[in-house]
Amino acid sequence: MTDEGVNWEAIFSRDGANWTEPDGRDPSPPDVDLSRVWTGVAAAVWRRRPGPAERLAARLLRSPGLARALVTTPSLLLGWVIATVVVLAAGAAATLGTGTPYVALFAPAVAGAGIAYSYGPGIDPAWELSQSMAVSDRMVLLVRALAVFGLNAAAGLAAAGVAGVAGGTGVAAAVTFGWLVPMTAVCALTLAAATVSRSANVGVAAGMSGWAITVLAGRAAAGRLTAAFTDSSLFLPYLAFAACCGAVAWYATRIPRGTS
Amino acid sequence: MNIELTDLTRRFGRTYAVDGVSMEAGPGVFGLLGPNGAGKTSLLRMMATVLPPTSGRLRLLGRDPGSSGPRREIRRRLGYLPQNLGYYPGFTVADFVEYFALLKDMPPGRVPRAVAAAVEQVGLGDKAKAKLRTLSGGMLRRAGIAQAIVNDPDLLLLDEPTAGLDPEQRVAFRAILRGLGERATVVVSTHLVEDVGAACSQVALMDAGKVVFDGTPAELIARGEGSGAAGDAPLERGYSAVLAAARSVPATSLATGTQHAPETRA
Repeated sequence: MTDEGVNWEAIFSRDGANWTEPDGRDPSPPDVDLSRVWTGVAAAVWRRRPGPAERLAARLLRSPGLARALVTTPSLLLGWVIATVVVLAAGAAATLGTGTPYVALFAPAVAGAGIAYSYGPGIDPAWELSQSMAVSDRMVLLVRALAVFGLNAAAGLAAAGVAGVAGGTGVAAAVTFGWLVPMTAVCALTLAAATVSRSANVGVAAGMSGWAITVLAGRAAAGRLTAAFTDSSLFLPYLAFAACCGAVAWYATRIPRGTS
Repeated sequence: MNIELTDLTRRFGRTYAVDGVSMEAGPGVFGLLGPNGAGKTSLLRMMATVLPPTSGRLRLLGRDPGSSGPRREIRRRLGYLPQNLGYYPGFTVADFVEYFALLKDMPPGRVPRAVAAAVEQVGLGDKAKAKLRTLSGGMLRRAGIAQAIVNDPDLLLLDEPTAGLDPEQRVAFRAILRGLGERATVVVSTHLVEDVGAACSQVALMDAGKVVFDGTPAELIARGEGSGAAGDAPLERGYSAVLAAARSVPATSLATGTQHAPETRA
């Protein structure tokens, strides 16, 4: 006996409150705790059914709380994902038309903004409450940042691949993997700035500004707009910078031990 | 003791928000009174493991929250209602309470029933599937209380829980508090002395970061008798008398709720 997925028989039999008795006695035994029965009914009716992505995340992360926090990431909501795909698709189309790898120019900035808007006091209205939870807020931050980065990397790889194959450029592979390193650095910068300033907007502004300065400086030095991500000598400094920003984010979200 | 504070201090720059507070509390409802800026919220945030102390010793539920393992165990058994409760407009009441139940590491199988019980307890059963953006301020506050009690906490910290509640809801809420206080330690920060008189077995009064009174509501009332302190109710007169004594000003010149800036030091 089910109604919209609710197993009424299980609910009532679990609480010892059967509606009818075989011998026709009063169907309401005097010891039935109606409030408990109602709580069981309400629990079944109000219960939210997690989607497949949340169930998979709960299994992988071994924490239903962390999985729920992951699927509620603001910058992983459908609208944001569609916007990301549109920007990268436009980059791929522009690459096909001009030969300039615009995907590599756009991807770091888009991913950086997504990470700044994934978690933090500037974006999470219940940030104060979240900080008092057993599931570590740092774990929530890490998992969300990783998910946003992974999604952007996959979308960016697809866009760069399409543009590279169709455009027949010999540097497609190098550019595809080349921009992942700058992207890591830009994402780390937005994350650190957003965490320290407690504002996602400040994080985005810092990431965008940093990336714009890097691109323009590369152009001024080498005469090419793409120098910021095609110059392989820059990759090690990018990674070192990302590590520093990661350390800053880690430091800013710590809880000092000095309590005793 | 569920709460043990020893010489606890929290400083913001040169301002001492909490200045050498020591107290202990076991099961029961503990009222934290004081004017705006007295340090109640900072003290509560430290007890909620959200704000680290600058110095002093803090033990909650017999554990040191300075280490990650004990802190996680404390947080599993903690309920916290912040003064400014943010909410997710697109969540329903049940979703909101469930989200925090999961973040409190409750066993997933227990969550639906615990959510239903908490939502019913705060009288939001008929709004369980309503989006939070459609609720009034008082209802949002009750949703906040529901998430705080969903894990049946051993330590419940409530910052201005009755703000926005109508008189009928406040009476019902005090009954919930008394029920919870039979087993758990409930700390209620408020500047509404009637909440303290109706629900609390113990009360501390803070001013300028310090605890200037620690006792029962009856003892606080006794402090106001014959003092000539301002106030319409006996507890209010006790409150004013204690604050006046702490500030060394005549009790008659002190109105309830007067703000007193926290101390700054060079």
